[in-house]
Amino acid sequence: MDNLKSHPPAWSTKFLKWFCKDDYYEDIQGDLEEEFRILSGGSPSMRARSWYNWQIVRLFRPSMMKKPKTQDSIEKETTMFKSYLKIGFRNLLKYRSSTVINVIGLSTGLAAFVMIALFVIDEFSYDRNHEHAESIYRVTVKNYTSEGTLSRHWAFASAGHARRLKEDYSDVTHATRFFPWAFPDLQYKEQKFPAEPVIFADDDVFDIFSFKFIIGDPKTALNDLYSLILTEETAIKIFGNDWKDQDILGETITLSRSGQSASFKVTGVMEDMPDQQHFHFDYLAPIRFVEMIMGEQAANNVGGNYNWMTFVRMSPNTDIPKFTDQVNDEFWDKYIGTFRSGAEARDFYDFSFQPLLDIHLRSNLEGEYETNGSIQQVYIFSIVGILLLLVACVNYMNLATSHYSRRTKEVGVRKVVGAYKRSLVNQFLTESTLVAVISFPLAILFIYLGLPYINEFVDKNLVFNPIAQLDLLIGLIVLLIMVGFVAGLYPAFFLSKMNLVQALKGEQVINASKWNFRSWLVTFQYVVTIALIFSILVIEKQMKYIQNTNPGYQKEQILFLGLSRNINNLDVFKREMLNHPNVESAAYSSRIPTGRLADSAGSAFFKGDSLVPSNFRLPMVGADEDFLKVYEIPLIAGENFTREQDMDSDSVGYYIINRAAAEAFGFNDPNDIVGRRLSYGRYNGQTNQTGQTYRIGRILGVMENFHFESMHSQIVPMVLLKRDGFRNVISLKIRPSDIQSTLKHVEETWAQFDAENPVNYRFVDERFNDQYQQEQRLSTMIKVFTVIAIVIGCLGLIGMVGFVIETRIKEIGIRKVLGASTQNIWLLVSNRFLILIVIAFVISLPMTYWLMDGWLENFVYRTNISVMVIVAPVILAAVLTLLAISYQTFRASIVNPVECLKDE
Amino acid sequence: MKEYQLGEFEEIVLLTVAILYNEAYGVSIRQEIESRLKRKVSVSALQTALRRMEKKGYLESNFGESTAIRGGKRKRYFRVTKYGKKALEYSKDARMQLWEAIPNVAFDFDK
Repeated sequence: MDNLKSHPPAWSTKFLKWFCKDDYYEDIQGDLEEEFRILSGGSPSMRARSWYNWQIVRLFRPSMMKKPKTQDSIEKETTMFKSYLKIGFRNLLKYRSSTVINVIGLSTGLAAFVMIALFVIDEFSYDRNHEHAESIYRVTVKNYTSEGTLSRHWAFASAGHARRLKEDYSDVTHATRFFPWAFPDLQYKEQKFPAEPVIFADDDVFDIFSFKFIIGDPKTALNDLYSLILTEETAIKIFGNDWKDQDILGETITLSRSGQSASFKVTGVMEDMPDQQHFHFDYLAPIRFVEMIMGEQAANNVGGNYNWMTFVRMSPNTDIPKFTDQVNDEFWDKYIGTFRSGAEARDFYDFSFQPLLDIHLRSNLEGEYETNGSIQQVYIFSIVGILLLLVACVNYMNLATSHYSRRTKEVGVRKVVGAYKRSLVNQFLTESTLVAVISFPLAILFIYLGLPYINEFVDKNLVFNPIAQLDLLIGLIVLLIMVGFVAGLYPAFFLSKMNLVQALKGEQVINASKWNFRSWLVTFQYVVTIALIFSILVIEKQMKYIQNTNPGYQKEQILFLGLSRNINNLDVFKREMLNHPNVESAAYSSRIPTGRLADSAGSAFFKGDSLVPSNFRLPMVGADEDFLKVYEIPLIAGENFTREQDMDSDSVGYYIINRAAAEAFGFNDPNDIVGRRLSYGRYNGQTNQTGQTYRIGRILGVMENFHFESMHSQIVPMVLLKRDGFRNVISLKIRPSDIQSTLKHVEETWAQFDAENPVNYRFVDERFNDQYQQEQRLSTMIKVFTVIAIVIGCLGLIGMVGFVIETRIKEIGIRKVLGASTQNIWLLVSNRFLILIVIAFVISLPMTYWLMDGWLENFVYRTNISVMVIVAPVILAAVLTLLAISYQTFRASIVNPVECLKDE
Repeated sequence: MKEYQLGEFEEIVLLTVAILYNEAYGVSIRQEIESRLKRKVSVSALQTALRRMEKKGYLESNFGESTAIRGGKRKRYFRVTKYGKKALEYSKDARMQLWEAIPNVAFDFDK
């Protein structure tokens, strides 16, 4: 065959080889070469060559081409990934119980964490909606005693402070006061709204706070003396839902109080103030109106009458501490100088400028508009939340790693078949991330289910909106993947580098070293569990202590009603109230126990003939002759008030002091102070408006100490005044039987005297509990989340014990064959866990003790941390562990040893 | 119909493979089609059709002997599978059915 001499063009053959699938190349090229030879007939032929080239060019089409390399490897990877997933799912199904523990633990932990995070984020977002929030400060005044100790710290300033600060200091660019004009009645056409919270403010208010107007212009809204700005909510209340369709600007609304009334014009409607603001107003009106009513002097007061919530906006970059020092150095000297007594005002007063953003979480002064949050509470929650998440993650890692060490044989076989180390690592990482990913939707479901309860509890409107809170969501997903990754990392690298022979023999290499990674994880879990149990025990004990400590007065079965302006004849009112068999006694007072001792005046005590001003604050409460009887406060010396006594009409002071006051005046035996002369406030020998001269009063009696204020504060000296002008509240001691009819009587009697205002009564013990509401809430919330953490921890523990027993099943079998009892086996398994508990105890207790001791410092009357409280968490942790161990050991020890020894 | 998708060219190739029986490989199939039907067939068209039908399961293939004229490369012999036969029969039946349905007068062009 001489036609073998001619060869097809080499370069196009190469081209064919390059692009054509390897599988196809051989026979196609063979065919082409055969035909080329036939065509060329042995001699080099142009025609054959071009035919050959042309056919190859035409073969250059996708169906003939090789697949690109990368695509090939992606295909391989995805195939492997599919296989990992499949095996992962099979394993999850195989170890159903540990999967369920894992998924539930992780998702509950996550859900709880997110809910706490939402709460914390909400707490930190207060007052941030104002554009100038960073440079807004509240002007507060500190009041010192003559000895220089801080006596009171008001959230308020005096009426004249705002204007003077703004005029004198260029750093103060804007200043406004808020003044509630004692809730006037409001009338629009025929509709009446009693006691609406109208707040009067200075013109600067809209330069300081960014209230958004729906209609009206903030620049001119307060221009007119009789202008009134509504919020959307009140606009709906007054004008109905379609207020936007009515032209309400310029409508007339009448405000009236104590017989005076004035007509205001609506000049704007603001958006409702957001929940996350430390005050909420429904109406704003110009403060010039109040100044006009009160008169020039009251509106310019610079010392005392601390009723004016004052805010200033400072120019940015003001050095606040320096500014504060400067103001305190100059202001009091300039405007007050010395008091009549000769003391310098600057020694008694100090300004303190509180950043707006600190008010909600870090301020609890006298006269806060609303109950503020507490930074401590936020910190405690944050810690609990983080711990919870950590416990859930650790739990997950723990179970996951123990789960993998069951699979040494699988790893061995995979290696023999030729698995790369890399693919083993990938396999375990895929599997561990799988559970984390499954938990995620479940966690979101839990959040949606749990949030309404949390909201009800903390009285907020927290919303979980994954779209709006994308950063939170992404953070969670990243966290989950990381958790899965870390959980997978340990087994992945451990198992993949395992010696092949060991792996195939199924030796428990992972458990060879007793103190391994997992032991640390278990210890950590114990640390957290013990710390949390300890914390709730301390909180619980303190709450019990407070509720069971006798406050020194009777708080059960006492009803109290705040009086209204319409009730004029108080003697008759009281008589009518008593006109029911179930009303035992009734007393008027200016305040009632569980309230605050906010009113005080200067006092002086006569030693011999000389008047010595007292160097402590002596707050007062106006009370009538039945006050001590209703509240069952024992009189330890002297006499009670009589009905006829009245400081105003008699122009003489009638006083009953408490034991603390007697001691403060230097009398350890209360009997010795009775009958001595005391000067209090203006009842000090001066002439009153009607020209009468007050005579110096005497101390009529001494009563036992009692907790007028909450247990947070100490029992301080106090004085009761018998002055009829101080009758603001009536307290009714009622019999426990047939409360319904008693309440009906109270309501009917009220209606006889005041038809306009609804009766508003409460029980004293309710209000007593309100004082500790914040602690109650705190303890309940911590309890709930702690229980979740403990449950997660216990689930993990049960899983761990089960695993330990499973890996040692043969050992247990052999021991049993050799005669070990169930107890022996029980000890064998449990002693290791007990060691871990002891270590955890040593780590966690000092830390938690320090934290909780700090919390208890908030209370003046605090319980002590007893040995019981310290030991109980450890015992509890040990008992829980031993229960888990017992259950699993019991199962292991009743198995016939043959069962576990027979297969190798 | 969907079951046995067979293009016109594919049908020709399939039939030719059947005709050649044991001798059906790239070159012989091409020459057979060219000589019987007097139409040009490019290697790429033929190979594409063959491979596609192999994937579909109408054809099976295995390597045969190598010869010097082929530069030492082996031949790939194709054979029609049972499934391929069914496809051919289906396509034939479909046509017959259509032929038989034509009324006599339709093609009676003389009148």
